[in-house]
Amino acid sequence: MSQSQGNLLQKLLLRRSKNGRLASAWIALCIGCTLLLISVLMWSVFQELLNGKNKQQDSLGSTFLTISKMVDDASMANKQLTQIDAADVALIKKAPQVQDIGLLSPANFKVSASLGSGPMSFYTLLFLEAAPDRFMDQMPKTWKWQEGDQTIPIILSRDFLNMYNYIFAPSQRLPLLSEQTVKAIGFTLTMGEGEQQTNYRAQVEGFSDRISSVLVPQSFIDYGNRKFGQSNSTNISRVIIKVGDPSDQQFTNFLKQHKYTTNAEQLRFSKMRTIVEVVSLATGILALLIMAIGTLVFILFIELTMAQAQTSVQLLLQIGYSPKKLSRFLVVKYIPIMLSALCVALCITLALNYFASQQLEQLQLHISPFPGFYLWLAASFSGLILLWQISLAIRKAIKA
Amino acid sequence: MKLEIKQLIPIPLREKFNSKSSDIWLQSLQLVAPEYIFIQSPSGTGKTTLINCLYGVRNDYDGRIKWNDKELRAETTEGIAALRAKEISVIFQDMRLFPELSAWENLEIKRSLTHTISEIEASEWMNRLGIGDKKNALAKTLSYGEQQRLSIIRALLQPFSFLLMDEPFSHLDKKNTSIAAALILEVVQKNKAGLLLADLDENNFFPYHKTLSL
Repeated sequence: MSQSQGNLLQKLLLRRSKNGRLASAWIALCIGCTLLLISVLMWSVFQELLNGKNKQQDSLGSTFLTISKMVDDASMANKQLTQIDAADVALIKKAPQVQDIGLLSPANFKVSASLGSGPMSFYTLLFLEAAPDRFMDQMPKTWKWQEGDQTIPIILSRDFLNMYNYIFAPSQRLPLLSEQTVKAIGFTLTMGEGEQQTNYRAQVEGFSDRISSVLVPQSFIDYGNRKFGQSNSTNISRVIIKVGDPSDQQFTNFLKQHKYTTNAEQLRFSKMRTIVEVVSLATGILALLIMAIGTLVFILFIELTMAQAQTSVQLLLQIGYSPKKLSRFLVVKYIPIMLSALCVALCITLALNYFASQQLEQLQLHISPFPGFYLWLAASFSGLILLWQISLAIRKAIKA
Repeated sequence: MKLEIKQLIPIPLREKFNSKSSDIWLQSLQLVAPEYIFIQSPSGTGKTTLINCLYGVRNDYDGRIKWNDKELRAETTEGIAALRAKEISVIFQDMRLFPELSAWENLEIKRSLTHTISEIEASEWMNRLGIGDKKNALAKTLSYGEQQRLSIIRALLQPFSFLLMDEPFSHLDKKNTSIAAALILEVVQKNKAGLLLADLDENNFFPYHKTLSL
C-alpha cells in the first residue's frame, strides 16, 4: 500500500474517529489487560509460595511439624514403643499432605553444660539433637563441625530463651539475656562419663522457631553417638515433617489413627492455602470480567468508527477495493494500539512483580523477581485472543 | 470478456415486465468484448438497476448474470473486488465520489489501486475535460457537470474489459459530452474492451454494434 493511498484511506475511514474516544478505549483495554495479568501473576506467585519449589525454603503453603508417638500407659513401661523405625518413616512419608520427612537424631550420651566458676557459675544437664540441614530455619555460616573441631555451634529454640527471660530469670533474680548476649557467651559442654569425658567449647549461633530443641550439626551427633554413646543404635523418637496443609482432615485423621502426636495448635494454624486459593480465584474471575469489558469497549470503539465510515467503506468496495485490503489497513492501524495497551499492562505487571519480590524478601518470602511461564503464557494468550477478536470485528464491520 | 444474461429480472420489476416487452429482462443474451452496446431505456424501466445488477451491487434479481462463465452472485467478495478492480469499470449515474476528498484525491484513491495510469496522464485527462483547475477543490464543492467528468476519469484509471455507463453525460453539454466520449472511446480501444451504455434517448456517442431496448 502506497503512502498516499494509506493517507487517503486514513482520511476516509478514520477521519471521524475521535482521539479522546480512542484514548478511553485504550485505557479500558489497558486496565483490563493489567488486571488480568496481575491476577495471573498473583496466582503464580501464590503457587510459588504455597508449593515452594525450593524445599528448604520457608513458604506460606507449608508448615513444619515435629511428630512423635504418643506416650501412654503402655509405652511408659516400654520405651521401645515410642521409637520411630523405618516402617514408621515409610508410613509417614506416604501420609496425605506430607512433602518431606527428616529424622531428629538425639544424642544418646550424657551431656552437661557449664559456665564460669565460683558463685556465678552455672551448670546444667543438657540434651542435644540434630536435624537434617534442609529442615533448619536458621543456617549460620558456622553451621558445621568435623572431627577435631573444639567448638560446637548450637542453635537454641527461641522458646527456651523466652522461658528463661520471662519465667525463670525473674523468679530466680537472675539477669535477663538478650539473643546477642547469649550468642556472645561461650560455654563448656561436657560429654561422656569417666575416662571418655571430653570438654568442648559451645557457641550459640542462632535461635530456631521451628524446632524446640538444642540443635547441633548432624556430624557432631553422629560422632558423639559413636564415641560416647551408650548403645550402638540411635534411638529416634521424633521426626520433623514438612506438610502442605496441616489442617487437612485426612492428615489429622492419619495422625490420630496411628497415635502420632504433634503440637495441636499448629494443626489449626494454616487455613491459608484455602483462603489464598479462593482469593486468587475470585480475583481471576473479576479480572477476566474486566478484561472482557475492556476488550468490548475497544471493539465497540472500532465498530463505531467503522459505522461512521460506512458510506466510505461501501464506496471503496464499489470502486474495487477488496475487503481484505481494507481489513488489513485497519488491522495495521489498530493492532499496534492494542499491542501497546498489552505491553504497558505487561510492563506494569513486571514492575509490580519486581517490587513485590523486593517487599516479600523482607518478610523472608522468596519469589522470583522475574515472572514465570504462566504470566508470559497469559500475555501471549490474551494477545492472540485480542488479535482474533479485533480482526474479526474489523472484518465484520467491513462486510456489514 | 464475455457477459451472459439469462432470464434476468429484478425482483421489484417482476410484475412490470414479461418476456415480450424487453430485449433484456427475461431474455437470454451474450455480449462479448469488444462489443459496443447501447441500451435504450425510458425512465422507470430499470436502467440503473440493470447496471447495479451487472456490477454486483444489487443481488435482488431472478435469473443469472455470468461474467466469463462465472456466476456473479456466486462470487466471493474478494472475487467481486478483483473483478471491479481489473475487469469491469463503471460510471455511475449518481457519480458516487468521496465528497470529503479533493478532485485529485478522488482520482488518486482509484489510481493507486492498480497504477495502470500515471499521475501525469490522469492530470492531462483532467485538463482535457476542462477540470484541470479543480484538482484541489473538494468533490462536494464541484458542480454536477464537474463531478460527472471526474467520475468519468476515475472509471478510466483502471484496466478493464467492459465499461458500464449509466447516463454518463446527463449533466454535460454537447461540447463537453463529445470531449468526454472521445476520451472514453480512446481508452476503451486501448484496453480492447467492450462498452455498455444505458441512456434515455437514442444517441451516437459511440459507434454501437448493438442497440437493445430495456
